Amino acid sequence: MEPTVSVQELTKRFGRKVVLDGPTLRLGPGVTGLLGPNGAGKTTLLRILATTLAPDGGRIRALGLDPADRAQRTELRRRLGYLPQDPGFYPHFTVFELTEYVAILKELNGRHERHRQVRRVLAEVDLADRARTKVRRLSGGMRQRLALAQALLGDPGLLILDEPTVGLDPEQRMRFRALVSRLGESRTVLLSTHQTEDVAALCERVVVMKGGRAVFDGTPAGLAATATGRVWSSERSPAASELFWRTADGRYRTLGARPPGAVPAEPGVEDGYLLLLGGDARATA
Amino acid sequence: MNTQWHLPGELIERYTTGHLEAVQVMSVETHLMGCARCREAVPYEREWLTAGWERIADAVDRPRPRPVARILRRCGVPEHVAVFLAATPALARGWLVAVTATVAAAVAVAHLVDSTGAAWTVHPLLFFLTVAPVLPLAGIALAYGPRVDPVHETQAATPMAGSRSLLLRALAVLVCAIVLTGLATPLLPGPPGLAAAWLLPALALTATTLALATRVAPPVSAAVLIVAWSCAVLTTGGLTGDGLVLFSPAAQILYGAATVLLIPLVHLRRARFDPGEPRWNRPSASKN
Amino acid sequence: MRPFLPRRDPPPVGPLSDDAELLAAVVAGRTEALRILHQRHAPWLRARLARRCADPDLVDDAIQDTFVAVWRDARRYRAAQGQAAAWIWTIAVRRLISALRRSGTGRDVVLPTEDHRSPASSAVTQSAEDAVLVGVEHGDLGGALARLSPDLRAAIQATVLDGLTVREAAHLLGVPEGTVKTRVMRAKARLRGYLA
Repeated sequence: MEPTVSVQELTKRFGRKVVLDGPTLRLGPGVTGLLGPNGAGKTTLLRILATTLAPDGGRIRALGLDPADRAQRTELRRRLGYLPQDPGFYPHFTVFELTEYVAILKELNGRHERHRQVRRVLAEVDLADRARTKVRRLSGGMRQRLALAQALLGDPGLLILDEPTVGLDPEQRMRFRALVSRLGESRTVLLSTHQTEDVAALCERVVVMKGGRAVFDGTPAGLAATATGRVWSSERSPAASELFWRTADGRYRTLGARPPGAVPAEPGVEDGYLLLLGGDARATA
Repeated sequence: MNTQWHLPGELIERYTTGHLEAVQVMSVETHLMGCARCREAVPYEREWLTAGWERIADAVDRPRPRPVARILRRCGVPEHVAVFLAATPALARGWLVAVTATVAAAVAVAHLVDSTGAAWTVHPLLFFLTVAPVLPLAGIALAYGPRVDPVHETQAATPMAGSRSLLLRALAVLVCAIVLTGLATPLLPGPPGLAAAWLLPALALTATTLALATRVAPPVSAAVLIVAWSCAVLTTGGLTGDGLVLFSPAAQILYGAATVLLIPLVHLRRARFDPGEPRWNRPSASKN
Repeated sequence: MRPFLPRRDPPPVGPLSDDAELLAAVVAGRTEALRILHQRHAPWLRARLARRCADPDLVDDAIQDTFVAVWRDARRYRAAQGQAAAWIWTIAVRRLISALRRSGTGRDVVLPTEDHRSPASSAVTQSAEDAVLVGVEHGDLGGALARLSPDLRAAIQATVLDGLTVREAAHLLGVPEGTVKTRVMRAKARLRGYLA
């Protein structure tokens, strides 16, 4: 598989704090998920790939371009779409006006073509009816969809989405997954999320980050497989020092050592993820 | 009107291809007026319908340009640039109001000092001449950057990021400030040459702010220069006894020279405005 | 941009809404409603306008102008004044006339039916259905109309069927107003004669 995005030994520090500690990874076409607890460096990595932040060290190659070079960086920006973690907006603008503004930033200078693209992306995220609504009157989920629409302008070959499902209700999240799945068929999508269900449902590959490094890079099935032999199901709750929780069927699911009276359970993506996180897992579960 | 009988497909086809008697055409049309089902049975090509709808949607759904954008358009600015500039945070009402108020206040102070005569040792135009050159700096501080522009992060990932956005907005802010201040200049008491002595300092200070902004964030750069300028005016006034020494013809020449020298510098270093620009000299090992 | 929008959201419209509901939604600023109206009415409008103007680009322009006008003036439609289709048609035919005037064309773009009519398709091929049709819609009038010459029939069609004024009919047919008036008078006289 020819990688469309490759990152080698990327480093970044803010002051004395090392946020990225040399992760190396390769992404190909399709949807790749980026999992990790808060502070693992996901957003920093995405910002660097989206060219909004420069790394301190390491090499990047995205869509055949090197963002360290100014001309190539501008060309890369023409081909990428970015949904930041906290997308901002001008509250007094309408949905259409704000999307049109981003379209101009993406160099869609001709009015007819620009309006056509704006309408197209608004239709993709189901906001066509709200084109004339002021942004400040939109709900959180709608604003998220608006930001996603802006990322889709210009039909980018690389989509970088930072926690795109935050604020979406389950129905919207399903629609979002269908949309991203379709987009992933013909381009490279990298999305970061806290939700392992998003990864399991959507991603062909998953990267787990912890402490500024990539601790896993493979398929969701592979991530689940790392938990083989360490997932247990029991009727009684185990000792409080174990990592466990109650499942929907009333039983208790434990990760790690076998508690008394437990039977092996089928490992899932979430189990592999939590086991990889180790000590941080208790805070995340 | 008979609503139970419907046009057979063959008849519709003859109608649409023009192979129908004129009288029958009239009949078909009268029937169509009353029968929704037959109206919807008229065939069409999907692409024709979609293309037609897109043209209509564009005519109907186009947002009315904002007032600022319309004014800019009237001045001959290309439409996409006008829409871009109209979104500049500083060109929002807040800054424009502040500038207008400040200029008005400065004119008022000038007239007040002038009319009270020799009781004051301060030149009537001093307040105006001190304040006028720093108005563009305040605008530039408010026009770009993560703290003042909510859309900054999104913008930083687009081709317009960095110097293109910043310099375009800075230019717009400068022009606005100059126009507003220039309108007030004839209202000032005193010789016209002196009243216009703010222009070159304004240009020089703006160029310096931009040059410094290649090193530090624009708000910091602007703040530093506003403070420096104010202190310079006050101290030179105190030291030499002539409050307007910084506006003398000799000083004006310096400002002009500084502006001319700084502009190429800003142009050369403009990559530094881009947050994605690496901050150190990397060997070109990345050319693989 | 609409100067005034009602504060509450109108009920959602879909492909099953009727024309009156869609027009009410258009008044409220819903572009989706206009799109459905376009989908429903543009095809037959094209067919009907094409019978009056042979230039397909002018017809498309007229359709575009029509729906833009519907968007602007939807509040003028009153359900009591009949079917929405008829109201839309009155807009459409006037837009066609404007388009014709703008393009400054002469006779060559109007009345294509007269050119397309093949000699064989006269009364001989009138099927039983056609006969029923003519009889149903116009009764004896249909037969009488068929006996009029094309020029007179076109004049009657423009003023009576399409509801145009004499001036508008003149633009549509590409003849002076006086000629239209004369033709309508002669046509009516002939029809009276046929039907008497």
